[in-house]
Amino acid sequence: MSAVISVDDLGIEFFRSRRRRMSMREMLFHGQSTHSTETFWALRNISFTVGEGEAVGLVGGNGGGKSTLLKMIAGVLLPDEGAVSVTQNVAPLIELTGGFVGELSARDNIYLQAGLHGMGKDEIDERFESIVEFAGPQVRAALDTPFRHFSSGMQVRLGFSVITALDEPIILVDEVLAVGDKVFREKCYKRMESLLEAGRTLFLVSHSEGELKRFSTRGLYLRAGRLAMDGTMADVLEQYNADAAEGSK
Amino acid sequence: MTLIGRTRAVIQKRQVLWTLVVRDLRVRYSRSILGYVWTVLDPLLMSSIYFVVFVFIFKSGKVGQQPYFLFLIIGLLAWQWFAGSLTDTSRALLSDAKLVRSTNLPREIWVVRVVIAKGVEYVLSLPVLAAFTLFYAIKGQVHFNLGLLLFPLGLVMEFVLLIGVGLLLAPITALVTDMSRVIKIALRMLFYLTPVLYAGNRIPPPFDVVVWLNPMTGVLEMLRAGFFEQPVVRGPIIFSAVITVALLFIGAFTFSRLERAVLKEI
Repeated sequence: MSAVISVDDLGIEFFRSRRRRMSMREMLFHGQSTHSTETFWALRNISFTVGEGEAVGLVGGNGGGKSTLLKMIAGVLLPDEGAVSVTQNVAPLIELTGGFVGELSARDNIYLQAGLHGMGKDEIDERFESIVEFAGPQVRAALDTPFRHFSSGMQVRLGFSVITALDEPIILVDEVLAVGDKVFREKCYKRMESLLEAGRTLFLVSHSEGELKRFSTRGLYLRAGRLAMDGTMADVLEQYNADAAEGSK
Repeated sequence: MTLIGRTRAVIQKRQVLWTLVVRDLRVRYSRSILGYVWTVLDPLLMSSIYFVVFVFIFKSGKVGQQPYFLFLIIGLLAWQWFAGSLTDTSRALLSDAKLVRSTNLPREIWVVRVVIAKGVEYVLSLPVLAAFTLFYAIKGQVHFNLGLLLFPLGLVMEFVLLIGVGLLLAPITALVTDMSRVIKIALRMLFYLTPVLYAGNRIPPPFDVVVWLNPMTGVLEMLRAGFFEQPVVRGPIIFSAVITVALLFIGAFTFSRLERAVLKEI
């Protein structure tokens, strides 16, 4: 089993203050920017590898660095220390509707979004039908209306449908494993299972124990920016729950 | 050498780049009834206004070269590309923050695609320029010469210049909140400091050489080279070629240095 994701001594540093943004006015009148320069390491000394076809679940409390780690694997954040290397293409279920343009029709948006993630026009033509099929009859009926007229449920359904149709070997999921109503969520789970059976590598961030147990075999536990545990999903969840119980005492 | 590597990375993603450019143009033109007309209406109206002000009110049609209206329209179309592109590239990483945060593309693409989209708009406005050139040519007032060959080179230079400046300003604007206001004011001042309304040789020395430091001076000199009686001035062209290349390197360097901080911020 060859490693498709390798993370080596990774670290990333953030400013503690939310108001880091500088302003010219401040710099001119105060001679310096007034933002706080206090920093903290959101993640540090993280090392692990993920092999092809593995299903990894990432657990940890809020602010533990889960999303940050996922974004660095997706390549949309750059580490300050260490390195991430990902040898295959990635389908990121991170900001599902981020690339959609409200003014354009759903049809144009499908081509746009799939194109942005590297699909060629012919491939999209080929998969267009299945993307729309998966998103459901409501979306099909509204294919030529502007995307901003879609209900938020329809928007995420279309987003999910496009990204999971990408057919990339690695799937990154940030808490959006299933979207929409009850029926659609079950459809999402089914699609995810079929993707896993087809040998995709999954990297999942979730707070739902059910999802984690259902989809992941290996667990990583992030605590205060450090990798606290790397083991089977069941063991990791047990440890996480024990820590949580301790914390709530 | 990172510049070559980054360029190669952007070229590899040319399909995505093209998708983005088409999106920009489609959004722009699908939203308005007049669509294409807006692109040419602005420079046309402004040319007419300046023409009236300078020729009929100030009675000084000699500030530029003859025919003055043609001189104006070449300058204003190129300036519109410059100003529009600079305004949008400086905000490029902010206005598409969601996309930047969710797709792993070479980040330079967000700047390059604005320059290309604005460039396509510029090219689409060229028929208007051609029409006026034809009109004045029939009247026998245009002095075509070999300088016409400099026109495409001028476009390439403006393109490279815009990418350099865009790469420099985009990350700075993402980190410094009021930068876009500064850019707006700076652009308005720069408009009068650039020989758009007047010819560069009308500036009394030694200030004419100071204006050469503005790379748009050389670009306009190249674009206008083939149409008028006065000979081309080489100085500003050489100056702007050097400054344009320098800005490209500075821009690429700044962009790669600030990329990390910008990604955390947006």
